[in-house]
Amino acid sequence: MTADRNPPFRLLVVDDEPIVGKRLQQVFSKMGLEVEVFTSAMPALTAMAERPFDVVVTDLKMEGMDGMEVLARVKRSNPETRVIIITGYAEQETAKAAFNQGVFDFIAKPFRLDDLKRVIERALSAESADEQGRPD
Amino acid sequence: MTLLAKIRNLWAGRGFREEGAPVCHPIKLVFERFRRVLHFNNQALEIIADMGEMLGGAFIFDHQSILGLADRLAATVRSSIDALNELDENRHQDLYPVYDRLTTQLRDIMTGGEERQGPPLLPLSAIQPRHWGLVGGKFAHLAEICHDEQIRIPEGFVITSRTYHDLIDENGLRETLSSFEELMARPDTEETELEECRGRLEEAVKKANPPSGFREVLAGKLAQMRENTGGPLFLAIRSSAAEEDMELSFAGLFRSVLNVPAETDAIFRAYREVVASLFGPQPVQYRRQLTPGEGPMAIAVGCQRLVDAEVSGVAYSLDPLAPASPAMIITAAWGQGEVVVEGAIPTDSFRLEKSPPFRLLASQAADKKTGRYPAPDGGLEERSIPAAAQQDLCLTPVQLAEIAARVVHLENLAKRPVDVEWAIDGRGELYIIQARPLVIREQEVGTRALPAVLDAYEQLVSGQGKIAQQGIGAGPVFIVSSQEDLQHFPEGAVLVSRRDSSSFLRVMHRAAAILTEIGTPVSHMATLCREMRVPCLVDVPGILNKVHSGMEVTVDAEDRRIYKGRIPELAAYQAASLDLATSKEFRLLRRIIRTVSRLQLLDPLLQEFTPEACQTYHDILRYTHEIAVVKLVDVGRDERCLLRDHLVRRMELPIPAGILVIDIDGGLAPDAPPDQVEFKDVASVPFRAILEGMLYPDVWHRATMPVGFKDLVSSMLNAPPDAVAGQYSGHNIAVVSRDYVNLCFRFGYHFNIIDAHCHDVARDNHIYFRFLGGATDLTKRSRRAKLIALILEAFDFNVRTKGDLVIARAGNMVRSEMERTLDILGRLVGFTRQLDVRLDSDRSVEHYAEAFLLGNYDVISKEGGGAL
Repeated sequence: MTADRNPPFRLLVVDDEPIVGKRLQQVFSKMGLEVEVFTSAMPALTAMAERPFDVVVTDLKMEGMDGMEVLARVKRSNPETRVIIITGYAEQETAKAAFNQGVFDFIAKPFRLDDLKRVIERALSAESADEQGRPD
Repeated sequence: MTLLAKIRNLWAGRGFREEGAPVCHPIKLVFERFRRVLHFNNQALEIIADMGEMLGGAFIFDHQSILGLADRLAATVRSSIDALNELDENRHQDLYPVYDRLTTQLRDIMTGGEERQGPPLLPLSAIQPRHWGLVGGKFAHLAEICHDEQIRIPEGFVITSRTYHDLIDENGLRETLSSFEELMARPDTEETELEECRGRLEEAVKKANPPSGFREVLAGKLAQMRENTGGPLFLAIRSSAAEEDMELSFAGLFRSVLNVPAETDAIFRAYREVVASLFGPQPVQYRRQLTPGEGPMAIAVGCQRLVDAEVSGVAYSLDPLAPASPAMIITAAWGQGEVVVEGAIPTDSFRLEKSPPFRLLASQAADKKTGRYPAPDGGLEERSIPAAAQQDLCLTPVQLAEIAARVVHLENLAKRPVDVEWAIDGRGELYIIQARPLVIREQEVGTRALPAVLDAYEQLVSGQGKIAQQGIGAGPVFIVSSQEDLQHFPEGAVLVSRRDSSSFLRVMHRAAAILTEIGTPVSHMATLCREMRVPCLVDVPGILNKVHSGMEVTVDAEDRRIYKGRIPELAAYQAASLDLATSKEFRLLRRIIRTVSRLQLLDPLLQEFTPEACQTYHDILRYTHEIAVVKLVDVGRDERCLLRDHLVRRMELPIPAGILVIDIDGGLAPDAPPDQVEFKDVASVPFRAILEGMLYPDVWHRATMPVGFKDLVSSMLNAPPDAVAGQYSGHNIAVVSRDYVNLCFRFGYHFNIIDAHCHDVARDNHIYFRFLGGATDLTKRSRRAKLIALILEAFDFNVRTKGDLVIARAGNMVRSEMERTLDILGRLVGFTRQLDVRLDSDRSVEHYAEAFLLGNYDVISKEGGGAL
């Protein structure tokens, strides 16, 4: 989907359980994305401040700063970055709040890799459309 | 029963009950309760299947998700037991203690408690998958391969992590250990504080006393080993920490003590040394840097006979410096191999082709002045190498080829590149000392450039098929169309077949990948692929038309692509990628799946079928399902129950099958007549399919069967018990709903049950077929059983026979496949009716099986006899 883009799309993953980042890194690097992985929110935000990402995938419940806070900060600093929240605790209320704050999608763990691939593909094609000055 | 008692029963909602007769609830209520059992069973099996798919790599999940699923599974199994008790008047209370026991076991695994339970010491050959949590990473790898006939491993045993925990507890070190683990877990820990705590533990373990009873166990084991050896015996004592050689190698960080005399005190001292190295400065730093937040780590210790090596070394199944080339690397030195892994002395190096005859591409002889050898009283000593051998290559071409073949075999077993330590003793025997996944750094592979590189290769399949097990495998295609083909399956080939089959298990250790044209990721074969880690795509449309035998292909069961030829870049990518199977989460999931999903309780007729015999949740589910089906069949069989509800309708068919239908939920059309129904009134999907088969032209033969006097006597003696009881003799009963049928047939003294569930979710679908008896003597009846089994096997049923009993199962099929299979069963029922009479020889079994499989159903009518 994105292999031929130059420069490559950039994906950031933040999840306090390392296995999630490790696997997403493997899968999306193979697809040609540039992937950076973090296990806590602060260093992830520092990386984002240095160079923005096209898509951010963040866990919801994390020690220190949680996924909702990550979403809020990303939306303030880089409104065009798509944020996808992944969580083991899929509560209606939280999902609703996240959508109000502009989350691109909300996925419950465990999820099929194909499902996340589709969401990310959608996020990136929405972005390409933006770049070309077309509406979403 | 008094009138008063009857009224009481009625109030209690139990219905009327005659002495000796079953309780007669309205069958609709019984069926609703039956459905509840099925509902929870399906839900639980779905969770188990999801876990299986997670193991196959299709899901992203974390530790929390595993625990969440396991909790849900426990609750659902419990609900299934509750529902069965509701269905069958609380007769199955004895399932609860079994459930409790299994649930405790599951919780132990979830909390990591199982590394504390089990034997203090385990012989290598006795290590089962359930022990993997006890024997540490390195020896779990070795135990996995030690039964392979091509692999020779020095005999020995593992002192398990349970002994480690006993050692900690009984020497009063638990509190110190907890503080240590706490310090390890905190990112802001002061180095000095950690260093002090670590040092204290290391020293204390070096001086620790053996846990109570351990000396005796160890002494017994050593005496046994000495006896088997018959001469002086020296052991190699090596670490096997929980995470060692898994996702991370911990290479060379823990201590090994080599050439220790096989005496209790000496071995225990060496054991303590190795355990203490868990708290050595280097491993502690390594854990802090590479596995932060991974939690406590226990250690097991392996004790094996030391191979008196003439030459030993290391082999990589892939060249780490040129991972995309089809070559492997072997390094070797005279004497013991630890000098090679330590990089302590110059070694000979060889580069070989990876496929037979393993042509030598390059070799380099080093100047090997010394080697390390076992000293007479223990430990190793350095010796000079005779001048003549110093410059010589220390492996002959024959030895190189032997090592190469073993390494390729180990790679096929592991389904990814491997790093192998080997040794050859004075008699020329090749031993595998260690085998671990070979991990190379991503930079050397260039994953970033991979998409463009891959796009340049010809793709046979792109984005089609379903992933049963993720992974990458390459090799020549080998098409399997029959069981016999499996006998010729070559090492490292890609198995391609129309359907999936659990019989592929036989060759999975040798297969590079498996591709099937139809199938689902939740089949038994898929489960086996996950256990054996064979990359596998199922449901790949038209694959048999796209490949031919011998054609080289590369299967990427991650992106669902199949390439023509071998793609070295993908092999390299695989070596650099995370080996999912070794990650902590996958190991936990795998242990949970093994604990819950093995099915031991196979058949109610063939073995002890009791709650106590249930060893897994799956067994419990099998048990509740079977008992629920039996309950339903019982109700269906008791005409007194059925007739009172006025739900029985007679089927009018063009063949004299004499079937009574009981519709419990949408199995007949709403406007079907109340007393007599025809084929067109049947709405039940599985029942309709069976009837279609029975009505197929020529299937219902009308030839007269010449029953002899001997046959007649046999039939009277062998009639199933309920024929003697006389219930519904002459009736065949079908209990049906829209997607379910339970059909009890009796045609002339044989007894046949078909129980089938058929709807849109493949996973829920099953066919259970049971056939018993006949009118002839046991030899002929057994021949018919054999005939039925042959035919069912040809249609991929899982079949077991015993005498004249046939039990066959199929499941996990999509609806269309289910209907096709049930149609075949219908034909089989018609075709084999009374056929036992004609089975005079074993040859006749083949004759009729062949006729059936070729669709020559009229063979019987043609062969003789007038109308029935």
